[in-house]
Amino acid sequence: MDDESIDEFEARTDAIKQLGLDSGATVVGVASASAFNEYVPEGHRPSDFMPGAKSVVVAGSLGPSNASWQSPNRRLMEITGYDFRENVASLVIAEHIETTHGYQAMQAPALPTSGQHPPMSMMLAAVLAGLGTRSVAANIILHPTYGLLYYAAAITTMPLVPDHQLEDNVCPARSCVKMYELEGKTPCMAVCPADDGGCIDATIDNGEITSSYFNRERCSTRAMNFGIRGHIKQVELLTAADDINEAKAVLHSDDFRRNLSSVGRYKESVAQCFECMRVCPVGRYRRTLK
Amino acid sequence: MSEEEPDWQTVKSELLEGVLKRGAVVARVGDPDLLGDAPPGQRPSDLLPQVKSMIVLGGSAPRVGEWNSPRAEVLETVGTADRMAAVGSALARQIEERLGYYALNVPTSTDQDDKPFLDFVAAAVVAGVGSPSLAGPVLHPDHGFVYLTVILTSLPLPFDGPIEQPACPAPSCVEMYDERGVTPCTDVCNIDDGGCLGGQIQDGLVIGRRYDANRCRDRVYHYWVPGYQAVLEQVLSEPDAERRKMMLYGSYFTRTMWSITYSNVSQGQCFECMRVCPVGAENRMLK
Repeated sequence: MDDESIDEFEARTDAIKQLGLDSGATVVGVASASAFNEYVPEGHRPSDFMPGAKSVVVAGSLGPSNASWQSPNRRLMEITGYDFRENVASLVIAEHIETTHGYQAMQAPALPTSGQHPPMSMMLAAVLAGLGTRSVAANIILHPTYGLLYYAAAITTMPLVPDHQLEDNVCPARSCVKMYELEGKTPCMAVCPADDGGCIDATIDNGEITSSYFNRERCSTRAMNFGIRGHIKQVELLTAADDINEAKAVLHSDDFRRNLSSVGRYKESVAQCFECMRVCPVGRYRRTLK
Repeated sequence: MSEEEPDWQTVKSELLEGVLKRGAVVARVGDPDLLGDAPPGQRPSDLLPQVKSMIVLGGSAPRVGEWNSPRAEVLETVGTADRMAAVGSALARQIEERLGYYALNVPTSTDQDDKPFLDFVAAAVVAGVGSPSLAGPVLHPDHGFVYLTVILTSLPLPFDGPIEQPACPAPSCVEMYDERGVTPCTDVCNIDDGGCLGGQIQDGLVIGRRYDANRCRDRVYHYWVPGYQAVLEQVLSEPDAERRKMMLYGSYFTRTMWSITYSNVSQGQCFECMRVCPVGAENRMLK
């Protein structure tokens, strides 16, 4: 590829990133499609969904507004976790690539289709696109500036200039390392300790994570307390009830209503526990406004 | 050097002009302290301690064609506050990202025990988006029924305050009441005849309003979560397997499931009191 072509691809890549930002994303990065091959098995790589895929454009957006983080009513965040702006951005990017540049493009499949496994990992996509690194807190990908972001991606046959992965891990933050040295735990481990009914544990040495433990099953029952799984559990209770009065108690409970409401309004209610992120220092100062 | 105080009236005008372009038909600002008597947990400051003003947006009422469809199923499946919620969410983002003040688009869904996070009707009345009506919904004097969304913010915007002349009862309703003892809404959904609404009008004011909230909810959310619970209760009580199958695979249960999955576009399923309301009726007629 000559210099002129490189300049042209860089310009196109920048224009596509800007389009994503203009469409609502907070950050946009690009990963090479082949970069996934090193980390995930066949069936979960971009080329498995789009033969000939060259690039993955990843869009991230802030979840709850800063005011939502401030609200003393924790339940408010249970139903305002998500506004899908990154999905809008990735769809706009895919459509733009197809209609303007004539390359194939599609939104990457991220919703679970088998158990809890997504066909393609948006967390890995974000890491490969240089947008963040895995954290001690439930493996959430933390962006160095914004902390927790939600991610979506577009896969395309269009060659774009990929971003570099971040050289430094975002987690643990310096203040977390200090706290770990003093107390043997970070803020997220303190608020949700695996050995005391919580989900998170880790060891840190020389400022680096040397081991981490995340109780995913326990976390998922909290992060997704109301919704599909809660409803399935209640259907199980209903079918096992000894008499109709017992079933009616389940059926007309507030929990039952909230589960169904969450199923119906899934997009507003995709995450219901933010406790490890509330105490995470990464991006926290950005959540303080006038 | 101290930061220069912005011209809050200009800030307010720019913000509200923006949401009017994005789809709201009315946008006003209310004093959140006027909702201070709400139950604990439902006051604006319970949701956002830094709150200084409350922006209330109204709009996204059904289209004229939908109001005029001879099929009631049309309105049953298109009533939605989703568009207003999206406009509110975008405004909240704009305030936080461009102006640096907190802004919270209050969820339109309910909190624990099916209680709203905030009384949207009271917020709309305080901001002057409309006035309470005999039928129940807030009515804007020109647009009539509108869906609402409320944004709480730490921006100290100047307040608009309530409207001076209530939209309900409309003069034609007062005349009808004087002649027949009912208004269009209490006539179509009379609480003494299996409906939800009742009340008197005296000196042009609604007094002694009667409203059967449970009955209304059963109709407005006919196919939603309550419908699902009702069918399952019947199914679990039914000893005959064939009858159980008939209930589960029947039209009512299927529509209920559709309503749940599409709950953002199927929020209100009974518009009968609003169909006959004269407030804003001229906006429901076209060529």
